[in-house]
Amino acid sequence: MEVKICLIGMGNVGTSFLHLLKEKQNSIKAYFNFHCKLVAIFEHDGALINQDGIDLENLLLDNTFLRQDPKWVNNVKFQDLISTLDIEILIETTPTNPNTGEPALTHIMLALSNKVNVISSNKAPFYLQYTKIKNLAKEMDCSVKFEATVASCVPALSIKKNLIGNTIFRIRAILNGTNNYILSRMTAEGISFAVALKEAQELGYAETDPTLDINGYDAAGKLVILSNELLGWSKAIQDVKIEGIGKITPHALELAKIDGYVIKHLAIAEEDNLTVEPRLIKRDSPLNIQGTLNIIELQTKYAGSIILMGKGAGGFEAASAILNDLISIVKKLD
Amino acid sequence: MIYLEVKLPDIPGSLIELIKPVSKYGGNIYGVLHHHDKKINNMIPVDIWFELNEEGIDLSLENIKKELIEKNIQIIKISVGSKNKMMTFILTGHVFDRDIADTIKRLDSKHIKVLDLHAKFTEVDQISSVIMKVEFPELMTKFELINEIDKICKEKSLFLIRS
Repeated sequence: MEVKICLIGMGNVGTSFLHLLKEKQNSIKAYFNFHCKLVAIFEHDGALINQDGIDLENLLLDNTFLRQDPKWVNNVKFQDLISTLDIEILIETTPTNPNTGEPALTHIMLALSNKVNVISSNKAPFYLQYTKIKNLAKEMDCSVKFEATVASCVPALSIKKNLIGNTIFRIRAILNGTNNYILSRMTAEGISFAVALKEAQELGYAETDPTLDINGYDAAGKLVILSNELLGWSKAIQDVKIEGIGKITPHALELAKIDGYVIKHLAIAEEDNLTVEPRLIKRDSPLNIQGTLNIIELQTKYAGSIILMGKGAGGFEAASAILNDLISIVKKLD
Repeated sequence: MIYLEVKLPDIPGSLIELIKPVSKYGGNIYGVLHHHDKKINNMIPVDIWFELNEEGIDLSLENIKKELIEKNIQIIKISVGSKNKMMTFILTGHVFDRDIADTIKRLDSKHIKVLDLHAKFTEVDQISSVIMKVEFPELMTKFELINEIDKICKEKSLFLIRS
């Protein structure tokens, strides 16, 4: 079986995905009996389209080959060509505006309208327009998957199919590695928020403009997606009560220790409420993780607490989540 | 709160043997009282009071009792105290400038009792933090408790971190 795919956005995640696809082509063929043919790559300034299949070996040698390929077309957009493209799956990894979800939202809606299955690593479309996207996918009888949007490679969303015999009633999670790194360092060293942030930036754990992380918006977006998928809710980011970590002082962290607590930036879905805020948790709580890790605790009715933990960011981490989504869509198509 | 009354031999290390099982099952010890004045036959009555996590409290208490008996520690009495609930929270801001005594009194007027309080500050007029452990009535929900604390925090521009 041959599956034709299109990639929009060849940044870190998009490129990592292509590397992974190249590396795994043979095992995908052997275990799942299909071959992925990449027929289009869209970038902000044009596209490479080749219905015979883009040569990944050559392309991945050097990124500049993309625009040097004779089939590269300047200044075309996905929305201009979607109706003419013969593809089964769109992989959407563009840099996206966190407040509008664009351009990813338009790409996703257009693909679904054209009966193309979608995989995305972009959070914003899903924490802004979750219900709209899911309804359109249902209407068009298409799959839309977005595992990489929450905790990257950690199977936070796909675990749902393994828990259908159970009932999840509460989620508590640490969904932002930057904030967890900052709080871990403040707790361990007694340094101020400003110093810990600067250190995180120097190590590449925090963006130059870390606003979306430290004010809790990033974690809130992920919590919306997580609760909608696992608890069956229909929330959007404006439904989340959000408090960031900027007001936490070394004094507060020191006081927490007196009573055996630590302060963590938790994302909580409970009793129809979504909250992202600093909370006191016991030092021996499984949620007391260090560094840039993410953790998700699912409180279930029949099996108590189930915990997932791992790296919440990174090109290949997200790429592996995308490849999982791709395999699961193809298995459904077959 | 759990109040445990035992008799311990007046020899070094016996108190540790009492504390070990309490600590092993997550007991948060509030106090230990030796009644040296009541020593009979080298045995001293000792009172210890501690808190256990509400989840699985019965099992933890059973395990503590079992281990104390195995250690030949004579249990005189165990009683589970007030059914009131507890919560710990931190307030950050101008906690002292905004009249901490008033904060405590206002909580008290809503039957929220401050059991324990620690503070950290550099200068009285600078931002400081306090950690408070409060006890609140069984019929009051956590949501209602947080609402009461939140009202005060908003009015006094304090930053609340709850457990």
